Amino acid sequence: MVTYIVRRLITAALILLGASFLVYLLTAASGDPLEEFRASSAPNKQQLMDARTELLQLDTPAPIRYFHWLGGAAQCLIPFANSCDLGKNIAGQPITDALGHALIQTLTLVTGATVLAILIGITLGIITALRQYSTLDYGVTFMAFLFFSLPIFWVAVLLKEFGAIGFNNFLRNPEIPIAAALAIGAVFGVLAAVTVGGEMKRRLLLGGVVFMFAAAVLMYFSATEWFKNPGLGPLVIAIAGVGIAFAVTLLSAGLKNRKALQSALIAVGVGLVVYFVIQPLLDQATFLMIVLLAIAAVLVGMGIGYLMGGYDRGQSMRAAAITSFLVGFLILLDRFMQAWPAYFNNSRVRGRPIATIGASTPNIEGDFWTLSLDSFTHLILPTIALILISLAGYTRFTRASMLEIMNMDYIRTARAKGLSERTVVMRHAFRNALIPIATIVAFDIGALIGGAVITETVFSVRGMGFLFLDGIMHVDPNPVMGVFLCVAITAMGFNLIADLAYSALDPRVRVKA
Amino acid sequence: MRFGRISKAVGVAAAAALALSACAGTSGGSSPSTAAAASKSGGSATVVEVNAFNTFNPNTADGNTDINSKISYATHSGFFYIDNKLNVVRNEKFGKMEKVSDNPLTVKYTINEGVKWSDGTPVTAADLVLQWAAFSGYYDDANAEAKTGTSYFSYAGDPTGIALTDFPELGEDGRSMTLKYSKPFADWEIAIGGPGIDIPAHVLAKKAGLADAKAFVDLVKGMPRGDAKAPKPANAQLKAMADMWNTGFDTKTLPADPNLYLSNGPYIVKGVNQDQSLTMVKNKDYNWGPEANLDEITVRYIGSAPAQVQALKNGEADIIAPQASADTVEQLKALESQGVTVEVGNQLSYDHIDLNYTGVFAEKNVREAFMKSVPRKDIVDKIVKKLDPEAKPLDSQLFVPDQALYADSVKENGSSAYQDVDIEGAKKLLNGATPEVRIMYNKDNPNRADAFALISESATKAGFKIVDGGLGKSDWGKALGDGSYDATIFGWINSGVGVSGVPQIFKSGNDSNFNLFSDPEADKLMDELIVTTDKTKQDELIKQIDQKIWASAYGLPLFQAVGVDAYSDRITGVKYMPNQTGVWWNFWEWAQK
Repeated sequence: MVTYIVRRLITAALILLGASFLVYLLTAASGDPLEEFRASSAPNKQQLMDARTELLQLDTPAPIRYFHWLGGAAQCLIPFANSCDLGKNIAGQPITDALGHALIQTLTLVTGATVLAILIGITLGIITALRQYSTLDYGVTFMAFLFFSLPIFWVAVLLKEFGAIGFNNFLRNPEIPIAAALAIGAVFGVLAAVTVGGEMKRRLLLGGVVFMFAAAVLMYFSATEWFKNPGLGPLVIAIAGVGIAFAVTLLSAGLKNRKALQSALIAVGVGLVVYFVIQPLLDQATFLMIVLLAIAAVLVGMGIGYLMGGYDRGQSMRAAAITSFLVGFLILLDRFMQAWPAYFNNSRVRGRPIATIGASTPNIEGDFWTLSLDSFTHLILPTIALILISLAGYTRFTRASMLEIMNMDYIRTARAKGLSERTVVMRHAFRNALIPIATIVAFDIGALIGGAVITETVFSVRGMGFLFLDGIMHVDPNPVMGVFLCVAITAMGFNLIADLAYSALDPRVRVKA
Repeated sequence: MRFGRISKAVGVAAAAALALSACAGTSGGSSPSTAAAASKSGGSATVVEVNAFNTFNPNTADGNTDINSKISYATHSGFFYIDNKLNVVRNEKFGKMEKVSDNPLTVKYTINEGVKWSDGTPVTAADLVLQWAAFSGYYDDANAEAKTGTSYFSYAGDPTGIALTDFPELGEDGRSMTLKYSKPFADWEIAIGGPGIDIPAHVLAKKAGLADAKAFVDLVKGMPRGDAKAPKPANAQLKAMADMWNTGFDTKTLPADPNLYLSNGPYIVKGVNQDQSLTMVKNKDYNWGPEANLDEITVRYIGSAPAQVQALKNGEADIIAPQASADTVEQLKALESQGVTVEVGNQLSYDHIDLNYTGVFAEKNVREAFMKSVPRKDIVDKIVKKLDPEAKPLDSQLFVPDQALYADSVKENGSSAYQDVDIEGAKKLLNGATPEVRIMYNKDNPNRADAFALISESATKAGFKIVDGGLGKSDWGKALGDGSYDATIFGWINSGVGVSGVPQIFKSGNDSNFNLFSDPEADKLMDELIVTTDKTKQDELIKQIDQKIWASAYGLPLFQAVGVDAYSDRITGVKYMPNQTGVWWNFWEWAQK
């Protein structure tokens, strides 16, 4: 195992050396760094060209410059020496500084999108696999491929036009005409009818109910200007909480496990009590506090399950913990909604909350809730854009992997010995289906850092992609090399981790030294 | 047992509650009302820029980008600024700049009393001396080949004019400085002292370990002019100051030390959010120049033009000036219905075709015939009209239409002969010859490629054999002036203000005279031009030079690049500006409705 890792690391280092040499030469040869001065009529043209030549060391041949750069970069390997030198960009900023900033920008942009894409993609993949060749399956496949094949710059521009500009215009006077409410309700109804399986009668019934419910809710929203003063309130939290309790128990323990269901329901009850108690505390929230509260919610849930006892405490604890976490999330959502009017009317926001560019409203002031809402309104569109295009891969991959597993002999055995379908799917199939997904996810995390060049440009985020493009534009290899190093190292690192994880997860695969 | 467990749980809960309230934020609730009240009195505007701010000193080679200059322009004042008709406008409230004598050219700068930096220190002659030392390179004695000597200030501008002066004479009151030029310098008016006195001498002096600005003046007063042939050991204190000047103001965030961003202009920087935005608020003390309306100006950086348009549409930006393209202009025009004002205008850069005075074009008849066959109107129609329906071919080599003298010069310079394509006239001049012409251009630039195609088609009709000598983006610049082509299509940037650029292109043997144009009379006029200190006389000389160039069948200016700016209905007072200052030129007139 150790020899395997060492061998992989040595190969990685050699690949890195070779690739960086190549990238450096290609960047240096990609254009004329003095182009902007060539046709200049400035009297001090020569002086400016000399300055640029000296800055980029253009009088040294590129291969020699590479080794000069490598010398600086190699110092990054010395731990704690703080002598890392990746050169400077054209504006004289050290690349290490620029990289640090760009990395944060990019990670803020892509982390949420990647996590959500993975969660939604895997869920959709499993559902479509279980309902193979159903309308839902075809529908999801169609949508996944549609979004996959759309160019992201176009999706992003459309999202900005309708999701930001259009929605903000709508918010000015959030009235939904009855016809529109009915139409949107109909869309939901059809979606519901398609999603739910079974006989036609059941589908139509459910579709009809959903249609009426959605249309009624929209009309209610319109009448009460809910979009300007949103909120859930304890009643909605209670109803949704009970729903969550049933769903979570169904998936994690099965509804037959009465103790687990009771634990989950008790967690919802506790959540409702906490909802009232915690409001004053939430008014002074900080990020740390929210994290601590989330941990507390999980612990309380586990405590409830533990106290409920029963023959399988673990299941009760799990069901209650997940339920109380989700109810906590609802309470959080409600609190964000309470903060919405203040954010909406903030003098910096001027009643147009959804943003098309950047990561925050400049100079915005306010409490934790306002600032967090500001981040959300800036992140929502790029996140949706990134999710849409990366959903297809996860969905299809999970579906294929799940289908393969569902046809395995051991699944048939599990069914034959009388296990419930829930246990077969959740315990025997799902877990094994996740093994190949683990490798994909690891690859994607590697690609995440360098990945969103176009999205960054459209949403005007100066992350790694911008750094890279800017370097290419000025024929300045230093920023390009900085980005390349980061991306290459993460990609290779996660490649290795994926391989190791695979062998750890799948007993059939063993790492040979 | 049970009770014990519950009481334990209560205890844990209480402890947890305590811990949580301990980590609660101190700012309880937002206060939108105060913020709203603040922004009503003078209003605010958000301006979009393409590049991100990175230094408070825009004069260095590294920091010399448009955004840094614009921020510096809004936060500093000086003896003059340049308006959108490309005139030099004096700011007498800041101080007086007067030409005391013509021979030798002597200019006296006097800063008014009460002009001060935002830390309360008065702006004095020492600040001017610092600018003079930096701009003139007076103390530099570096020899690049021998690698000896010291180069102090890395100034991005052209030092040749200021380098003609000796150490300035300083007034008793410490607020005036007199520069004596060893020979007349045409651009003396814009050589120093504006549009901003941007680096405070007293701050640099302290950083270099000197007591104050006066100590700095005393230090440099005694130092002789640097001589590259006889380099001296570097002066440690001046070197420290120069290093500070070169890189000490580089930052992407707001420095902890307010001395690094002192203002003496209408605004002062309040916050810098790295690579995202920069905010300026009014400088309370400022009363020595045009008074600004807005309380706050926020600059946001958006690279792509469509994103700028959408930001304007979504109310995130109030003023934008994206790179003009047909799409951008069209998108902006569509916003006019929601109150956005769009201004389309000319920029100072212009495309032109130059004919080499060697090879086939050595003969004037051939040059003239070629020029007659260049379809300038078609080129403008195809390339510029979709952006600016009123665009016309540029008819002067030295003036742009924004300048008052353009119309005058065009009447007399002989450009009227080349208004329309004259194939017959060209054939007559060629007299049956079919010269082969290789045209070099940047083939990665669609506008140049289009221009080439149109010229090629038309010139072929007149009997020319056109060879496509187009080169890629990274090669064409190097090929300029190497004689491998007969004609070239590329762009110059008219300096707008100042005449130093003229001989650079048109004088015999100069660096940027790629087509080897040489006219002794024009040379003489240019020699006279660069030592003429009177604006009216300068204009007269330029008109004559323009005529000479046209008379010699030099080549043809084609069209000016199109610029565009747009602003929302919240804002008034924005006016188009052709030069690189852009909409910022009159930022003090911006107001919120």
